[in-house]
Amino acid sequence: MIKQSIIENVLEAALSTGGDFSEVFIEDKFVNSIELQSDKVERSITGRDFGIGIRIFSGLQNVYTYTSDFTEEGLIEAAKRAALAISGGGNGIIHPLQKEIIKPIHTIAQLPQTVEHARKIAVMRKANEIARNYDERIRQVGLRYVDEEQNVLIANSEGKFVEDKRVHSRLAIQSTASDGVEMQSGFYGPGAHAGFEFIENLDLHHYAGEASRIAVTMLGADECPSGKFPVIIDNEFGGVIFHEACGHGLEATSVAKNTSVFANRIGEKVAPDIVTYIDDGTLPNEWGSLTIDDEGERTRKNVLIENGILKGYMIDKFNARRMNAEATGSSRRQSYRFNPTSRMTNTYIAPGDSTPEEIIASTENGIYAKYMGGGQVNPATGDYNFAVAEAYLVKDGKIGRPIRGATLIGNGAKTLQLVDKVGNNLAHGAGMCGSISGSLPVNVGQPMLRVSEITVGGTMGE
Amino acid sequence: MDIQLFQDELLKKAQDVGFNEAEVYYEKSNSFQVNIFEGEIDSYETSEEGGVGFRGLYNGKMGYAYTEKIDGDSISFLIEGAKANADALDEDDGTDIFGGSEYYSEHSRYSNKLANVSIPEKIAFIKEVEKKTLAYDPRIVSVNYCVLQDFSQERVLTNNKGLSLQDKTNGLIVFIYAVAKDGEEMKTGRAVRLTRDFKSLNADEIATEAGEEAISSLGEKSIPSRKYPIIMRHDASASLLAAFTPIFSAEEAQKDQSLLKDKIGEEIGAKNFSLIDDPFHPEALLGRNFDGEGVATKKTMLIADGTLKTLLHNRKTAKKEGVNSTGHASKASYKSTLSVGPGNLYIAPGEKSQVELMATIEEGVLITDLSGLHSGTSTISGDFSVAASGFYIKEGKIASPVKQMTIAGNFYDYMNGIVSVGSDLKFVPGGYGSPSVKVKELSVTVD
Repeated sequence: MIKQSIIENVLEAALSTGGDFSEVFIEDKFVNSIELQSDKVERSITGRDFGIGIRIFSGLQNVYTYTSDFTEEGLIEAAKRAALAISGGGNGIIHPLQKEIIKPIHTIAQLPQTVEHARKIAVMRKANEIARNYDERIRQVGLRYVDEEQNVLIANSEGKFVEDKRVHSRLAIQSTASDGVEMQSGFYGPGAHAGFEFIENLDLHHYAGEASRIAVTMLGADECPSGKFPVIIDNEFGGVIFHEACGHGLEATSVAKNTSVFANRIGEKVAPDIVTYIDDGTLPNEWGSLTIDDEGERTRKNVLIENGILKGYMIDKFNARRMNAEATGSSRRQSYRFNPTSRMTNTYIAPGDSTPEEIIASTENGIYAKYMGGGQVNPATGDYNFAVAEAYLVKDGKIGRPIRGATLIGNGAKTLQLVDKVGNNLAHGAGMCGSISGSLPVNVGQPMLRVSEITVGGTMGE
Repeated sequence: MDIQLFQDELLKKAQDVGFNEAEVYYEKSNSFQVNIFEGEIDSYETSEEGGVGFRGLYNGKMGYAYTEKIDGDSISFLIEGAKANADALDEDDGTDIFGGSEYYSEHSRYSNKLANVSIPEKIAFIKEVEKKTLAYDPRIVSVNYCVLQDFSQERVLTNNKGLSLQDKTNGLIVFIYAVAKDGEEMKTGRAVRLTRDFKSLNADEIATEAGEEAISSLGEKSIPSRKYPIIMRHDASASLLAAFTPIFSAEEAQKDQSLLKDKIGEEIGAKNFSLIDDPFHPEALLGRNFDGEGVATKKTMLIADGTLKTLLHNRKTAKKEGVNSTGHASKASYKSTLSVGPGNLYIAPGEKSQVELMATIEEGVLITDLSGLHSGTSTISGDFSVAASGFYIKEGKIASPVKQMTIAGNFYDYMNGIVSVGSDLKFVPGGYGSPSVKVKELSVTVD
């Protein structure tokens, strides 16, 4: 993308004031986004994101600059300007760049850039038809198709020089149902680190049907009761609860500064024996997967919690310095505009022994959260909250009436201790995770599980 | 490649290949951000970036494309991309390229003084803030975000109908998060400042605000879960308003995604509730003199004394209803297609202070922060159920901090339930503002 000699000069200029590490991240990304609404293709846009991020360390100082000026003078100027912030006594050695050839672990059959719009739109129309025909109360269906081809080049003063191509494809479906007075919506957004083959092979009857089924079900739902209940969280996107409740607290971003409740607790029992929590960027073609992270490190399977014992964190190169630990292939950024830091890839609770039927049958009076919405956590306190998109009451071991407007709140470290059933049906769901290095594709996953008590906030009162 | 040259060539080439009308939108920004941790620079960022958005009418349909790589090759990338995107549309977009408004405000959102504040001055200031926050109370254990950020941005919109507009803005944001710890209990307190006047910032004031909020949140108590009268502090109220802003978009209404469809002239809120969009408000950092398609912006009354006066329109949505654009075509950046969005949307302030609002409450809850708004709100149904922090009010005064809560209700009911509106109008980043608001009741669930 940019000549090696220029990159070497930029890495050197970045160390001119005594920094001890410099890095260049070049991104050239092609994007297509198509929206279909009211049965019509309403928006379609094509774009090219292009820019360069330059990072310099000096001990525990971290300086970042980015620019879309790709001329040699422009880049050297940017590197020198950033270097002004460093007052280091570092030795600033540049190791000769060694081109690393990495075999991609996520194969792409059809690059989306080579597929004409008409084929993408044909899939959208099919999904639209399925979602609309689901029920006469479906009044509106919105579909958004997005593909991205991100080409990156990462080089650093330690001699790393590596390129990667990441391809993402996603189809998001939103159905709105109305009975004339009220409106409710349902959403499903499958995505993968894959090409158009993923979109073409999607089970549209399942995904579009589910989006409409959720909207129609919620139309007839009762108000949600408030109070403390056992909560059964279904598999796949249900994993968002542990993404918020523990995942963020296991990122070096908060661990390194001791602002996480999980800091300095390796080897301690933080969860019941039945809980094993893993972050794995190598799962083939999953939405959160990568071959190399945004520092050029190989992704890997990181066991975070094993049988209830805290085993490890997700660590990036910079926080590794503060923590005196090794980086774990977990450094990510949305684009060249973001200084990378430790983030999740595909994070999931490993499967247990219980069957879903057993879990429901053994619950007397609780809530069954079939599909989760999004959530949020305050990493310093571990307090989290998230919305339930589709929920039901559970009475005497049976699933009862649907309820709406349920929000779950609690404290991550405490909720983790209260997991009392883990099912055997692990599945992963695609989402976007927003944090300091931007918005990233991540998978959350789990089998069905039960937490013995969560505070449920609804409108109906206790 | 020089941007002027790039623009001219692009417009010319577009005309040659059959775009009857075409527009180029260019943005260029600079930013600086520093984060302090334990007296040292923890992260330091600078940037210089820009990009070009192109749109044009091809066979009567509006095609879009953008690029951040400004070079000769990108011209054909934009043209070919926009052509394919125009072809993909099912019908003409109902809009064309705009020839221009009669009058444009020359309101300035750029301060030369701010642009001249040196980086060492800014760093010294934010270090001072961290130091003072840590010194506020021995129970303040850290400041986990201590950020100063400034930006400047220039926008240029040029089309082949003779319109050429530009404006420039800059601003500075200070954002800190103090962490207080007492035994096992950990609480955070925050302070945010938006300004174009660096000299107006006071480190003591910022440190005290975040420190006080964190410390006063310690010693949390549980209260029974039920409905309570609520005071929404200005910042919590502004963030709730921001989450529900899509309901005021004519585009959403026309797609049956807002229950405000066909409600113009009807009473949709309490008598003391007025909602205004003012792109020139002096206390908001954002705003614009022309919107995303070049229409002059103006102050717009959306809700006056509870009655819905208008929704937000761009030229396309206005044409559908036979009205004029309100100057609310929005373009988040050169990367976006045209949509509808506010300039600086705020709830009109009333007369009473926050203390006076509270004095009228026998038993209630003061909400100081909402989180989970992106997932816990449905703009389609109006329902919300979100996590909240705040204080228990007893006999008109703050009695204690409350454990983590959720508050739940429906935004349409909420607008009707506004009992009185405070005088303390403040803006949050993103261009939303509100005074503190007293609401009849909301469901409160306590952890």
